[in-house]
Amino acid sequence: MAALTLDNITKVFTEDDGNEIRAVDEVSVDIEDGEFLVLVGPSGCGKSTTLRMIAGLETITSGEIRLAGGRINEKPPAERDIAMVFQSYALYPHMTVRENMSFGLEESTEMAEDAISEMVADTAELMEIEELLDRKPSDLSGGQQQRVALGRAIVRAPEAFLMDEPLSNLDAKLRATMRTELQRIQDDLDVTTVYVTHDQTEAMTMGDRIAILDDGILQQVGTPLECYHTPNNRFVAGFIGDPSMNFFEMDVDDDTLVVDRFAYPLKPAQQEAIAGKSRVVFGIRPEDIRIKEPGGISDNYQFEVTIDVVEPRGDENTVHLTFDRNVSDPITFTATVSGLRDVSAGDAVVATFPPDSIHLFDTETGVALHNRTFESEDATKQVL
Amino acid sequence: MSTETGRPEERSLFGYSLPRLGLYAILAGMTVFYLIPIETGLMTAITSPETYTGQFPYLPPLEPLVPNTGQFSLASWQGALDGLGQGLVNSLILVVPATIFSGLLGSMAAFGLTTISWRGQVGIYVLFVAGIFIPYQAVLVPLTQFWYNVVPLRAVFEPLAALPLVETYHWKLVALIITHTAYGLPICTLLFRAHYKKLSDEMVEAAQLDGASVATIYRRIILPLSIPMFAVVFIYQFTQIWNDLLFALTIVQFGDAAVVTQELVGIGVSQSGTNFPLRMAAALLAALPTLLVYVVFGDKFAKGVAA
Repeated sequence: MAALTLDNITKVFTEDDGNEIRAVDEVSVDIEDGEFLVLVGPSGCGKSTTLRMIAGLETITSGEIRLAGGRINEKPPAERDIAMVFQSYALYPHMTVRENMSFGLEESTEMAEDAISEMVADTAELMEIEELLDRKPSDLSGGQQQRVALGRAIVRAPEAFLMDEPLSNLDAKLRATMRTELQRIQDDLDVTTVYVTHDQTEAMTMGDRIAILDDGILQQVGTPLECYHTPNNRFVAGFIGDPSMNFFEMDVDDDTLVVDRFAYPLKPAQQEAIAGKSRVVFGIRPEDIRIKEPGGISDNYQFEVTIDVVEPRGDENTVHLTFDRNVSDPITFTATVSGLRDVSAGDAVVATFPPDSIHLFDTETGVALHNRTFESEDATKQVL
Repeated sequence: MSTETGRPEERSLFGYSLPRLGLYAILAGMTVFYLIPIETGLMTAITSPETYTGQFPYLPPLEPLVPNTGQFSLASWQGALDGLGQGLVNSLILVVPATIFSGLLGSMAAFGLTTISWRGQVGIYVLFVAGIFIPYQAVLVPLTQFWYNVVPLRAVFEPLAALPLVETYHWKLVALIITHTAYGLPICTLLFRAHYKKLSDEMVEAAQLDGASVATIYRRIILPLSIPMFAVVFIYQFTQIWNDLLFALTIVQFGDAAVVTQELVGIGVSQSGTNFPLRMAAALLAALPTLLVYVVFGDKFAKGVAA
């Protein structure tokens, strides 16, 4: 177990025609000993390349990777003392589960056969796969193969675990179970872990911290709630959270933001944050929008809207709202309301956008100019 | 609801429709067509040379017994075994190592060219592929020059002949083994490469992370997963090398080192005429080992082809 440091690592792929592609661009993250870091981003963002560079399966164009303080750039994968769980599990098909799990210990250590089989038995017990030890991978279900793949990594007791979308081949129910179990195991073993996923739910629920990558560039590193509530930029704000944050591109008119039928007054602190901008992106999370019966508009933060589509989810409904259904290109946005609330398409309602909950981003760069605030200092501390 | 589906089935002989009967007839005809040469050979081989007339050779011998003895005529088989004995031994000495070497080296080359990545491997692979297309005719003269004038293999074997089981003429078989291994290498590499491309890269990477060296990955991961492909390559190479006459004529030329195909050419031919029963028995005997290889490796072969 050791701390893992990525120091300005960059990966440039050169295509056959001489084109250079920067897959990973100067990414720096300090991963503490025993920390669970989730690398998340859309496909092609460089998260898997980053993981493969840590594993030694990909060369590093520039920058440095340090494990327990020592540079590992030039070490071959075999000498890095890192275990990896692959998306396809990558079990050895001709070996039994026991042989699969022993292989790494046989190859990377001088351990005696007895000691190896003892460690395999212990790990199998931890992973609850004792009864599978004599079977071949082809005789196992996807979930069982997944456990074996994890067991094969755990039995090595490496300095760090790398996981490349390990749950993405499981069905939704099993994935949720394994998510919890994986967290429990990581917590028990207290091994530094880097976990790659494209699924923001996995990132939010599993990571001690998450690192969001887009187009090879690190967008933000922070705890899940930091990233959720105080995103560095529009990309992070839109990527984290499901359903996604609503964005409106609006003109700045003195103390008010304006677009078509929608005008939103800003508080002094918010005005200050966007001083000098003529256009900004206004953002608000669906769950912060409040819906009430039509009529009785009491302040400038309330708007008459129409329900366009309702997506029931049971515990809550996602409603798609629009300021005016009848124009050809209406502004639509989503809000979540309680699942017990009776809402249906075509209803006229009043939507409230609480001024504390809004985010403002630069139109060009996407940088966050203003993030939501919390009513009290205590609440801020609690959340962040 | 669908409309009536066609005409009611035309029932004909034994409850089968006419087209189906036609199909069976064609299949039966083709079976006879393909099997008749083998059947003819077999029938000829058990006919006594004295009673062999050359008419209707595919029929069982009209006089199945050796005249006046009441016994089957197995004289031809004995004659074939005597005549081909040395050739069979030589062929076996040649074909077993040549098959194993070409398969093993082909598998290693394919591993190095496919599973491991390094600069310039495509160029090397192109050379392998080009090797498949070098015509035999183009190498015959250089091959003779090489083994007779360039490489002093014979001189190496002369002192070795003092050892038990080693004869001086074995140098020709060693030359043949090396030649066949080299000539079979490209196609073997190609076959293994196709197989290795289908193996998961992640599995090899997992082995790398597990601490395995390149040699260990080959020995413990790739080799065990290549067994079906080895069956394919072994059957193919065994048949090729066993049946080869051209390289044998070029390198062995004549003498004690002659392989079975060379001996088969001359057996049963004399000034008094051709002994057909003997020639047929010899042909069947010479074909027997390839048949055995198919039977032994058959199920693995099917797996390898389907893989």
